[in-house]
Amino acid sequence: MNTTEANALLIYVVYKRLQNIDQKKVSLSLDLGVCVWGIYSLCATGSRSSMADDKDVLRDVWFGRIPTCFTLNQDEVTEREAEPYYLLLPRVSYLTLVTDKVKKHFLKVMKAEDVEEMWFEYEGTPLKWHYPIGVLFDLHASNTVLPWSITVHFKNFPDRDLLHCPSNSVIEAHFMSSIKEADALKHKSQVVNDMQKKDHKQLWMGLQNDKFDQFWAMNRKLMEYPTEEGGFRYIPFRIYQAMSDRPFIQKLFRPVSPEGNAHTLGNLLKEMYPAAIPNDGEPKRYQVVIHGIEPLLETPLQWLSEHLSHPDNFLHICVIPTPTD
Amino acid sequence: MGSWRNHVRARLQQRDQTEKLPYVGVFTSLSQLEERFEIRKQILDDVQSKSLERGGVEVGKNTRLLQLQLRESEHLAEKLSQTVSDLTTVLYLKEAELQHWQSRVSQYRQEALTLAKGSKTLKATLSDIEFTLECQSKELAALRAEQKGLKEALGQALREKEELLQRWMEEKREEADRMNKYNDTQERWHRWARQLKKHLHRETGKEYVPKVTSPWSDTTETSPSVIQRHPDHNKVSTVAKA
Repeated sequence: MNTTEANALLIYVVYKRLQNIDQKKVSLSLDLGVCVWGIYSLCATGSRSSMADDKDVLRDVWFGRIPTCFTLNQDEVTEREAEPYYLLLPRVSYLTLVTDKVKKHFLKVMKAEDVEEMWFEYEGTPLKWHYPIGVLFDLHASNTVLPWSITVHFKNFPDRDLLHCPSNSVIEAHFMSSIKEADALKHKSQVVNDMQKKDHKQLWMGLQNDKFDQFWAMNRKLMEYPTEEGGFRYIPFRIYQAMSDRPFIQKLFRPVSPEGNAHTLGNLLKEMYPAAIPNDGEPKRYQVVIHGIEPLLETPLQWLSEHLSHPDNFLHICVIPTPTD
Repeated sequence: MGSWRNHVRARLQQRDQTEKLPYVGVFTSLSQLEERFEIRKQILDDVQSKSLERGGVEVGKNTRLLQLQLRESEHLAEKLSQTVSDLTTVLYLKEAELQHWQSRVSQYRQEALTLAKGSKTLKATLSDIEFTLECQSKELAALRAEQKGLKEALGQALREKEELLQRWMEEKREEADRMNKYNDTQERWHRWARQLKKHLHRETGKEYVPKVTSPWSDTTETSPSVIQRHPDHNKVSTVAKA
């Protein structure tokens, strides 16, 4: 059953449910149901519409996973040997939000007095929990063999490299802060400020519980813009470089030029990181990766922001050296 | 327009083929097995602790199995109820989304109707304006033709005026020539008359008045100038008849 058929079946279930609950609603729902089935028929008969493709892109982005093997650091003091723990990590989430089971697994073999704040590292590089998991993987380990091998530590927390994360509320605060920053760029904070506290909570809970529909029921408001504007005010983006001391590049950039032309990914890189675009005849030195893929440079930036942003509404772009093999 | 969209879609699917699909089955099974192991371990611990409470009497194997199955069923039931709860939530969300899109459809339908009405009005106005334009174009063409005729007539009148002027000028020139001729003739006549008078005066001693022949009438008449002898012999006045 493909996505369109699944959605249509769900809608039909809603319709039937309404029919059972309230006879008054039946006539309204009947019209609605007929309309919906009509739309479904149109979708099913012809090729997929762009809207359906875009919805599928949103789902593919949300349900992206990275197979990971967590191994306890050899220097940790354990009562017995710790077995590795395997987990499919959501690309769009944060390490400390999805590794409760990892912590529970390794705590079983450790003494309480030897346990401090858990942190992760890959090949000697501490992994920043406040970066999305997919960004960490694309930046540090995209060309390695799967599953991704991450080392777990319970002591010697690297205060200079990592932020502390004592509880989920810290992650929530960081997540909401990013969303508000993104909306400040897109809508001058008008949309996020018009939301109620429960709406903000719904965004967070959707991410925390991996609920796509719950999240996007609210997030779609943050992806709307006035038709006459042609896009957001500015595009929220961050460009990460694999070999750089600079954390990321973030500047103001409009989705539409003053002449009214849509800016593309290529336009953005040309402005912010020209080295990422090879000149004619030159070999490609860098890969521009978003969610583990390389979009075409002519992809409109507005579309990328609407469909390939992370749940924090930022477009996280990794520029990594092209593999030589 | 679609090539970049298809590219993204294709690459995402390819990514999942590499990173997710080969591992999702194994990892999910592993996770479920670990969960079951945890449950069974917990049940075993519970059962053993209960048997110890009873003074070390061992519980039968069947009882343990039954308890294990019961706990697993309870756990499954709990998971299913959670799934039902999640699906119910999703249903509510979809319902809300449907209502939202229905209101958007209704709104856009209204907008479309309004725009259609406006379009119809504009078309009618355009038709009227086109008709008016056509009438005015015809009127303009007629006026231009009239103007052209009038210009030609004006041109003709000007030419005639010029011709008349030329003719009048010619007439005047001829008249002037005639006047000049006449005046010349007069002058000659007067000159001749003076000469004659001189001659007469030269013949002053003579008593008779010379007869003069008029150049016009060809008759002989008495000279219109009468030479009168003034008592003062040094003055001679000539009285010329007008």
